[in-house]
Amino acid sequence: MQFFSLEGNLALQNVLSRMEVERQKIASTQKKGYFFIGGGIILAITGILMGLIGPAIVVGLIPIIYGGVLFYKIGDELQAYKKAYKRDVIGEALRFLDASLTIDPYRGILAQEFIYSQLFSTDPDRYKTEDLVCGKADKTGFYFAEVHAEYKTVTQTKNGTRTEWHDIFKGIIFVADFNKNFNGVTIVRPKDFGSAIGAWFSKNLFSFNNKDVIKLENIDFDKAFITYGTDQVESRYLLTPAMMERILKLNSNSKYSISLSFIESRMYIAFPLNRNYFEAPIFKSLLNPELLNEDITAIKFMYDIVKELDLNTRIWGKN
Amino acid sequence: MIIAIILIAIFLFGIFFYNSLVGKKNQVTNAFSAIDVMLKKRFDLIPNLVEVVKQYTNYESETLSKIVELRTKVAAGNISDAEKAQIDSQLSSSVKGLMVNVENYPDLKANTNFINLQTTWTESEEQIAAARRTYNAAVTDYNNSIMMFPGNLFAGALNFHPVPVLETAAEERRNISAKELFNN
Repeated sequence: MQFFSLEGNLALQNVLSRMEVERQKIASTQKKGYFFIGGGIILAITGILMGLIGPAIVVGLIPIIYGGVLFYKIGDELQAYKKAYKRDVIGEALRFLDASLTIDPYRGILAQEFIYSQLFSTDPDRYKTEDLVCGKADKTGFYFAEVHAEYKTVTQTKNGTRTEWHDIFKGIIFVADFNKNFNGVTIVRPKDFGSAIGAWFSKNLFSFNNKDVIKLENIDFDKAFITYGTDQVESRYLLTPAMMERILKLNSNSKYSISLSFIESRMYIAFPLNRNYFEAPIFKSLLNPELLNEDITAIKFMYDIVKELDLNTRIWGKN
Repeated sequence: MIIAIILIAIFLFGIFFYNSLVGKKNQVTNAFSAIDVMLKKRFDLIPNLVEVVKQYTNYESETLSKIVELRTKVAAGNISDAEKAQIDSQLSSSVKGLMVNVENYPDLKANTNFINLQTTWTESEEQIAAARRTYNAAVTDYNNSIMMFPGNLFAGALNFHPVPVLETAAEERRNISAKELFNN
C-alpha cells in the first residue's frame, strides 16, 4: 500500500538527504566497530587454539577495545540521529497527513493509564512506553503510543530464584474521545479458551468482580470477543449493532486480535504488534521511498479509526 | 453410602438449578423495568418538545396534538405494558416525522433548545434500543435454561414458563414517510 509519496514534499526530501549523510557516517563507524570486535575475537580464539594464551588475549583485546571505543564515540551521534528522525522525518510525515498530528518520542501512555484502561487483567511489573502521537480527526481528539508491558514470575530453583519476564502486551495503545456519554465500564477482550471458561463461571456460578458478562446478539462478535460491563444496558448502548460490525471490521484489518475498553468517556484500543515503529534505520538508506511506508501505514491506520468507528457523529448530546 | 452421596448430589443440584432459574427470571423482570425507565425518560421529553415546536410552526398542530394525546394516555397510568409499548412506537414514529419536517423551519432548526431536545431524543432512542436488547438477551438466557435438558423436566412443575422476546413493532420496521404521517 502506498499511502505516502516523498515526491512533492520538498521539505521532507531535504531533511532526508541531510540525514542520509549522518546515517552513512554512523553506519560506516558501526561497521568498522563490528569488524574490529569480530576480528579481535577471531584472533584471540586462534591464539588460544595454538596454545599461546597470554599473547592471544593481548592481541585479541586491542581490536576489541578499539571497536568498543568506536561504538562509544558514535553513541551520542546515534542518539541525536534517532531523535532527529522521529522529530523531523516522522513529525513532518505526520503533518503531511494532518496538520494536527504531533509526535513526542519521550512521552507515551503512563503505566497508571494503562492499568486504569483495564484492557488487560494483569498489572505490569515492568513497563516501557514511547512515541506518543496526538491529534484530532475532525471533532474527535485521539492519541496513541507504543507500549511494552510485562509481568514477572519468580520460581525457586536449586541455585536460588529465577526471574522470568512475560509479555502482557506489546504494541500500540490507541485512545480516543468517545462520542457518547456513559458512566460505567465496558471491556471487550478477545475470546480464548481460558476467558471462555471464566466467562461461563461468572455467568452461571459466581462472578469474581463487579462486572457481568454481556452476551451480545451479534454471533460473530460474540465468537471473537468476550464483553464485560458494569451495566448491561449501557454496554449495549455503546456497542450498538453498527458499532459491533465496525469493531469486527477493525479487528479483521489487524494482524492480531484487538482489545477494547470504554471508560470515563474514552475508548481504549490495544493493537498487539511485533515490530517497533518509528525507529531510524542505520544500515538501510533513508532515501528509499519504501522506508517510511510501514510507519505511515500504521499512523494512517490509527488516524482512520476515528472514521472507521464513526466517532465524529455527535448526535448524542456530546460535543 | 453411595446412595446417600447420590441423593445429596441430586439435592444440591436441585438447589443450584432452582436458584439459577429464579436469578434468571429476576434478570428478565429487571431488564423489563430498565425499558420502562427509559420509556419514561423519553415520555418526559414530549411536553418540552411540543412547547418549542409550537413557537415556530403553525402547520404541524395536528401532529403536535396527536403527540400530546399519546403522552396524556401514558401519563394517566393504568395502561398495560403492551399498550405502553404500542403508544411508544406510535409516538416514536410521530416524532420522527416531526423531525423530518423541521427542515422546513430554519428558525426552529437553529433553536438551541430544539437542538438539545433533538439530541436527547436520539440518545433516548438508542438507550431504549439497548434496554430492549438487554431484555431480549435476558429472556433468551432464561428461556434456554427452562427449555433445554435437564431444565425442561422440572421447569413446568416449578412454575417457570417461557417468556416471549420483544419484537420490533411493524410500524417501526416500516420506513417513515412524512407525507403519510401528516395525511392521517
